[in-house]
Amino acid sequence: MIKLADVSYVRLGTRDLEGATHFATEYLGLDVAERAKGSVYFKSDEREHTLCYFEGDPGDQVVCFEVEEQFHLDEAAAQLEALGHPVRRGTASEAALRKVHDFIAFRDPTGNPIELAWRPGYSGRRYHGARDAGITGFSHVGLCSSDLARDEAFWTKVTNAQVSDRIGDAPLLRIDEVHHTIALFPSAKPGIQHINHQVETGDDIMRSHQFLKDRQVRMVFGPGRHPTSSAKFLYFEGPEGMVFEYSSGVREIADELLWRERQFMFEPKGFCKWGAKPNIAEFNK
Amino acid sequence: MSDAITIEQLRYVRLGTADLKGAADFASRILGLQLVDRTETSAYFRSDYRDHTLVYVDGLDAGQAIGFEVRDPDALAHAERVLQGAGFATTRGDAEACAIRKVRQFVSFRMAGGYDIELVVRPLESGWRYHGPRDAGITGLEAIALRGAPDASDQQVWTKLLGGKVSDWVGEAAYIRFDEAHHRIAVHPSQEKGILSIEFGVEDVDLVMQNAYHLRGAQARIVDGPGRRATSQQLFLSVAGPDGVNFSYVAEGERLASPRRARQFPRKRESFCAWGSDTQLPEYQ
Repeated sequence: MIKLADVSYVRLGTRDLEGATHFATEYLGLDVAERAKGSVYFKSDEREHTLCYFEGDPGDQVVCFEVEEQFHLDEAAAQLEALGHPVRRGTASEAALRKVHDFIAFRDPTGNPIELAWRPGYSGRRYHGARDAGITGFSHVGLCSSDLARDEAFWTKVTNAQVSDRIGDAPLLRIDEVHHTIALFPSAKPGIQHINHQVETGDDIMRSHQFLKDRQVRMVFGPGRHPTSSAKFLYFEGPEGMVFEYSSGVREIADELLWRERQFMFEPKGFCKWGAKPNIAEFNK
Repeated sequence: MSDAITIEQLRYVRLGTADLKGAADFASRILGLQLVDRTETSAYFRSDYRDHTLVYVDGLDAGQAIGFEVRDPDALAHAERVLQGAGFATTRGDAEACAIRKVRQFVSFRMAGGYDIELVVRPLESGWRYHGPRDAGITGLEAIALRGAPDASDQQVWTKLLGGKVSDWVGEAAYIRFDEAHHRIAVHPSQEKGILSIEFGVEDVDLVMQNAYHLRGAQARIVDGPGRRATSQQLFLSVAGPDGVNFSYVAEGERLASPRRARQFPRKRESFCAWGSDTQLPEYQ
């Protein structure tokens, strides 16, 4: 079993690096960690970076998880190869681009590019956002799934992910005490479905709602509150249609033995207990 | 006995309306108050453990009145003398007027803002708790916002005669308390007169937001918020009601266990809302 220790970063291709950088800093509230040739790295917490935009195809979207030991990469590679998932070892220059010591890359059954990295970079400089969005860190990703049951089985059998709750057949998966770090949503195409950053309080959600609305950022869901994780949330659209989420107050599952996953409706009320309706394709039937 | 009148608590609001049927429908179906008594000419609504806190009376000529409880007949007689000494024409309610208000005794006087203050003795309680027609989560009548004189010259009645203490100012707008709540009366300098908003408490942030979505779904006109007041730290949401009177839901907010100095906030929208929400009410702009 592959032990995912944390979600580390996402890498997103963009046709407009300058525009994406403007969005990530001025609107989303991230902090530029580094500007390199053809890419910009962004900080959201104590880590060196948690988002990287690079010049390229917007369909090129990767999410990376941290593993605790280097030999975990070898074990994971062997296990994935045995299951028929081709695995590629990252080169030294690729690792340097990702600011990790070592990594492997593969695709999940839907075809989402996934990386597992050992020793992703932390930074001594703390996060200080371009605006006061109250971000406390990059927290989870939604992934597209062309077959929810198959992909749930992949993540829960091959990795340490466990189902915390389901909305319809869409599983919310945890790899530690946080209610979910990976969420799978139905979609015909692979890709990252949304990128979540946690913010300090519900006030930050509401302030950002006004701030972003005033700047004509397209709101796609919320403000609202998830009945599953109990987090308050706001979803909005970023460059090239990527959905970003802020949330606050996510449930922690401390005693896993006592936790029983629950079934919620794949309907607006399963996604929001305040009455907001999602304008997100993957959240609708 | 000092000269100031001691207010025990805010009790009720009486509103004349041009459309009693429409106003009663608004109060129950939109706001979620419980109709407890309906006569030819009036509709009484419950929001908490009190018999009623809102009455709609047929005809705009019925005016607007705010009821405050004083301790006993002696306190009422004292109040009568103090008010007369200050030049107010006071009226003793007769038996019929008392019966209509469900109080034992009352004295009324007209404020410069065009509404009456009624000081009442032994207003009716209810042994039956509030149970609204929908789950609006209302906890009770919290406060009244008033349209006051543009130069704030009318605020002394509240602080000098009626014993209120200013908790905060926003520009010249004063938030005035009579008990541990941050304020029960807010006087906002205005070009108009009368009651600006009647504020009902709801349980928590979930109820504020659920009500926000409910009101939008019911095509009610939200005129302020949802937001958070920088002064009292209350969450708020205001909706336009019949006859130019607004209604608000509020939650959380500061409780003052011990007296504290009044604070001066700038006359800016940020002082009315720390979330950056919009308002249609000139008094809050």
